Amino acid sequence: MDLNKQKKIKMFKSMFKIREFEDVVKQIYRDGKLKGHLQTCQGEEAMEVGAIEALSEEDIVFSNHRGHGHYLARGTSPKKIMAEFYGKVTGTNQGRSGGMYLVDAKRGMPVASGIVGGNICVATGSALASKIKKDNRVTLSFFGDGATNIGFFHEALNMASLWNLPIIFLCENNQYAEATKREQHQKVKKISDRAIGYAMPGVTVDGTDVLKVYRTVKEAVEKIHLGEGPILIECVAYRLLGHSAGDLGIYRPRGEEEEWNKIHDPIKKYKKKLLEEEILTLLEIEKIEEGIQKEIEEAVKFAIESEEPLAETVGKYVYQEEGNE
Amino acid sequence: MSNITYIEALKAALREEMRRDKNVFIMGEDVTRYGFGVNRGLVDEFGSDRVRNTPISEAAIIGSAVGAALRGMRPVAEIMFVDFIMIGMDQIVNQAAKMSYLSNGELSVPMVIRTPEGTEWFGGGAQHSQTLHSMFMNIPGLKLVIPSDPYDAKGLLKSAIRDNNPVIFFEHKQLYTQKGEVPEEEYIIPLSKAAIKKEGKDLTLVATSWMVKHSLEVAEDLKNKISIEVIDPRTLIPLDKETIINSVKKTGRLLVVDESPVSGGMQGEIISVVMQEAFWNMEFPPRRIGSLNTPVPFSESLEKEVIPTKEKIKEEILNMFSD
Repeated sequence: MDLNKQKKIKMFKSMFKIREFEDVVKQIYRDGKLKGHLQTCQGEEAMEVGAIEALSEEDIVFSNHRGHGHYLARGTSPKKIMAEFYGKVTGTNQGRSGGMYLVDAKRGMPVASGIVGGNICVATGSALASKIKKDNRVTLSFFGDGATNIGFFHEALNMASLWNLPIIFLCENNQYAEATKREQHQKVKKISDRAIGYAMPGVTVDGTDVLKVYRTVKEAVEKIHLGEGPILIECVAYRLLGHSAGDLGIYRPRGEEEEWNKIHDPIKKYKKKLLEEEILTLLEIEKIEEGIQKEIEEAVKFAIESEEPLAETVGKYVYQEEGNE
Repeated sequence: MSNITYIEALKAALREEMRRDKNVFIMGEDVTRYGFGVNRGLVDEFGSDRVRNTPISEAAIIGSAVGAALRGMRPVAEIMFVDFIMIGMDQIVNQAAKMSYLSNGELSVPMVIRTPEGTEWFGGGAQHSQTLHSMFMNIPGLKLVIPSDPYDAKGLLKSAIRDNNPVIFFEHKQLYTQKGEVPEEEYIIPLSKAAIKKEGKDLTLVATSWMVKHSLEVAEDLKNKISIEVIDPRTLIPLDKETIINSVKKTGRLLVVDESPVSGGMQGEIISVVMQEAFWNMEFPPRRIGSLNTPVPFSESLEKEVIPTKEKIKEEILNMFSD
């Protein structure tokens, strides 16, 4: 399953980077120095990193509003993402997005959707393109539990199944749709059961275990390469913070967050495993963490010092000017 | 030249573009076997991978066209009636129209949605007879094309397919069986040029789609009294403002006829654009004709009250010259 020591360490670094980045973003936002919609993803790092590490560079990833971690896991520079949050010209979208619609076309990540479930049909079209071109690329669509109640999800799963498209539907079930607990927004016990209705395999996996997520997605990719069609993978984790950086999550039952924090924090769990397997020592971990903390500090500095976009560029890129015949 | 129907002209454009570029493909509900027949027969030449019947899932049809376009394909999605486009609205407005802008121009969505508007000869009622193109004029990032005859339909569809932006191509059910002269040799019409369908000097009559035919007939009927210039914008975004403004500066009178309900419709937008440049040239206040602000009813006696007719156009023009 292609999981050597280097890969395991890389996955840890990536998860820690996301956590550190998000914690810093949350703090800056709460200090009143950032605006916009910043849906941070503390607690969801194992799903993001496990899934993305199982793909090749050629594969296509569609992200959503809670997408910071997807881009960081794929290798987008924290500087560019942070600069985007500050609305600067050096940002991923040159200040046109803010937090919700990040893009990294060179890394096979089109614009993320800020509309819940908005990318699922679009991702299906990407898989259709791969099928027609026979280019052997896999498309992965990330969405949350809330998105499995919207029409896009159902239309896309049906179409992808009907046409046997090379796509992984990856549901990051963080147990909350904004402020609504899953039990209050759908009756189905396992989201993966919804695959049955589309004659598609569906699996549920512990979304706080990065290695399990990795192996599940890797296996799905291999099956798709052998000609099998789409799959619905449900990863179950917990959004450790509120819906967005400013949300204190007071609608959650007392003790719930503490329990997940204590027992199921994906980073703590993975760190423990790496120590037990003697892949990293405590000292090495500390060194990695310090390095990443410094990298994120630099990202903030870079963002603050970057230039604002020029007002006269506001109409640029609304239309593609080039190549129209 | 050959005398062919609007449907045949569209089909010819699709066939030529599919031969020319292997990335062009068609998808939609029953495209090989039902509906108005624009795509019918193409599957025999291009196969079912490139002429794709889909489930009745407009969000997935439009959304997957967006995704395929992002990956270098040139999908031509058919939405069987424009009314059904509402199901895929998010995918057009929030996804397709924003991709270029949000990616600093790095990503493009070269797709076309073909869809028929307007009333039918057999009566479609409130959810199968609407004219919805005006609402899309409020969405930056889209191009809007609305051809009124076979010649324009073919040349504009070829350009729409080659364009690197999302294009909505509004056809009209009543036009499908209309015939017109279309050259045998290849031609394209740029998505930026209005057509002066008939020259005149007393009144500028801007009309679109099925209303162009009515307008030309009225111009003919009134030719001994009033010299009417009929202009078809052909594309609403981009809009060829210059051709319309220059005409109004010459005639001093403007009437805009479009099947959209008048409230918030394209008629008001065109009048507004023209007034900013040609107000002092006006000899009479600009006028507009559209559908009444009601749903389209089934009964023929009610339907003709709602939609613009030749008689209504004529009456309005005579009013504009009554003094």
